[in-house]
Amino acid sequence: MKKNNFPLVLSMSLLVISLAAWVYQIQGGLIVTNMRNPFNWGLYIATFAFFVGIAAGGLIVSSSVYLFNLEPLKPFTRIASLTAFASTLGAMLIILPDLGRVDRMFQLFLHPNFSSPLVWDVVVLSTYLVITFLSVYYQLLPDWKPQSKEKAQKAARRVAYVGLPVAVLIHTVTALIFATQGSRHWWNTALLPPDFIAMAVASGTALVMVVMLLTMGKEGLVAHSGAFKILGSIIAGALVVHFFFLAVDLIIHGWWGGPAAEGLFAQLFGRYGALYAVELILLAVVMAYFVTGRKAGSYTGLLLSSLLLFAGVFIHRMMLMFPAFNDIPLHFINTGTGAGWSYPVALGHFQPGMDVFVSFWPYVPSPVEWAVTLLPFGMVGLVIALALRFFRFLPERQVRGASVSSTGYKASVSR
Amino acid sequence: MRLGMVIDLYKCIGCRTCAVVCKQVNSQPPGTWWNRVFTPGSQHHQVAPRQTGRLKMSFLPVSCQMCDNPACERVCPVGATYTDEQGVVLVDLERCIGCRYCMSACPYGVRQFNWEDPKQAKEKAGYAKGYTYGYPFPQRDKKGRLVYTPNRPKGITEKCTFCVQYTSKGELPMCVQACPAGARHFGDLDDPNSTVGRLIRERETIRLLEELGTSPKVYYLSPNKPE
Repeated sequence: MKKNNFPLVLSMSLLVISLAAWVYQIQGGLIVTNMRNPFNWGLYIATFAFFVGIAAGGLIVSSSVYLFNLEPLKPFTRIASLTAFASTLGAMLIILPDLGRVDRMFQLFLHPNFSSPLVWDVVVLSTYLVITFLSVYYQLLPDWKPQSKEKAQKAARRVAYVGLPVAVLIHTVTALIFATQGSRHWWNTALLPPDFIAMAVASGTALVMVVMLLTMGKEGLVAHSGAFKILGSIIAGALVVHFFFLAVDLIIHGWWGGPAAEGLFAQLFGRYGALYAVELILLAVVMAYFVTGRKAGSYTGLLLSSLLLFAGVFIHRMMLMFPAFNDIPLHFINTGTGAGWSYPVALGHFQPGMDVFVSFWPYVPSPVEWAVTLLPFGMVGLVIALALRFFRFLPERQVRGASVSSTGYKASVSR
Repeated sequence: MRLGMVIDLYKCIGCRTCAVVCKQVNSQPPGTWWNRVFTPGSQHHQVAPRQTGRLKMSFLPVSCQMCDNPACERVCPVGATYTDEQGVVLVDLERCIGCRYCMSACPYGVRQFNWEDPKQAKEKAGYAKGYTYGYPFPQRDKKGRLVYTPNRPKGITEKCTFCVQYTSKGELPMCVQACPAGARHFGDLDDPNSTVGRLIRERETIRLLEELGTSPKVYYLSPNKPE
């Protein structure tokens, strides 16, 4: 592979910008964000959910190979595990700037409260980080120590089996952070965990696809068109399932009508209707592209639809926040007129001429929040760029008619 | 012992004295309010909303509902929010990591975050130089947990403590002491002879968002004239 410094330099710059913004935020406090008391989670938590989602790719690809014998995906397992490890790291990182007191993080280990889904998430995400690291390690091991090939292959396989349920758990538990909350209508649904899994399968698979396309180029697409076709089908299937959950969820939220549904739908289709429409259209277009595609698709088509998918999933994560927080739970209905009224919440910030008590907060992330949010992007980029530079993650160039690859890994999966 | 409060909405005149003394005595920075009073249904406080063609007005003070089943305590990853032996839900100001999960969980909007250093926020508000307000001493519980201090650390959550600095000495919370209408009652809900014990037994009471299962220890008496 020819050495291209651009990804490395870009990732490092993102990291430097985000760390500088984070230092600025630590000095001033979270007041430099646009989050306030009535809207206490924003871009950071949405980004966290996004990265947890794209961390799914690794285990999906390797377990597809082991469990469903999808042979064409074999050369992708190394890179898939790598993206999973990097994205999990990114997800865990973006939580840190969201904490008001990151210096007290140790309290999590001294006094964990096991009724909190947040603690469950710390446990499963740490476990997943270790598992994806081991998965990468055991797949690379034969390159360094050819004599330990068989041992490493066995270990890699075991890791993949243990990893699959943990992969399912990170999405389930991340969704449970929201879904358990009875005071937020938009989150409080048992469909949230399965829908998080559907979104994770779609976006995690797309990440593997994008990394493969960018690193192998058009030649790679031609050489591995079968594998790309499978990835496309996985994305298509996951999006179909997502739209099914979405439809069922909207029907259940709306069917009874009444104040709860009205409050939520006023946000979903009223105030945030345009943003919601963009999310739905993006995801629908991507679904249509992958569902209708007979062949693997063109280089540009695959790349573009994957990027549109990321945009759609990111908006979906932001849309977790808007209708949840601006549908204020302490809401009353005037028994005479039927009009709704939300009990105003104090912002936690005083500025002359501005209301302190609000029943709606027009949250838009501040420039500092956007800058800090580059942190996981920089870290994921850096990990992938460094790994690709020093280790062999990509399948070897194919020679027509010859064996697909000479990696020790190939042999490990053929039974 | 379960300390609780009964607020008689028929007696409440919506003067907001409770909200102001609470803010003063607990040294809350500008923009932070542990206790609020509004006119339900109305865009403006003290303006009657129209109900079935007639004007009618009542007031609703809301502070921490001191739930028996507090969502905030369940979600707190580090156990910084806890219920003390008197049933009061408190925040350990030295343990809170500022994740704000409790604020997402609380349906009453009573939890307040220190988005900036409260000292700086007070300076920015333009009070006279050297002016400070609020109960000046830190308060620790029996286990040594810091539950009140005049200037809370930056980046943590705070809320009503039932004036722990007074109630731990057997005095009443400041909102109860200061209410000019005598609309607030405070005491042990488990004691049948206490005023609050008698009121919740003899009168019809309302608790906010009871359907969520939070079981608040703040009870309201109807704003309508008692029979």
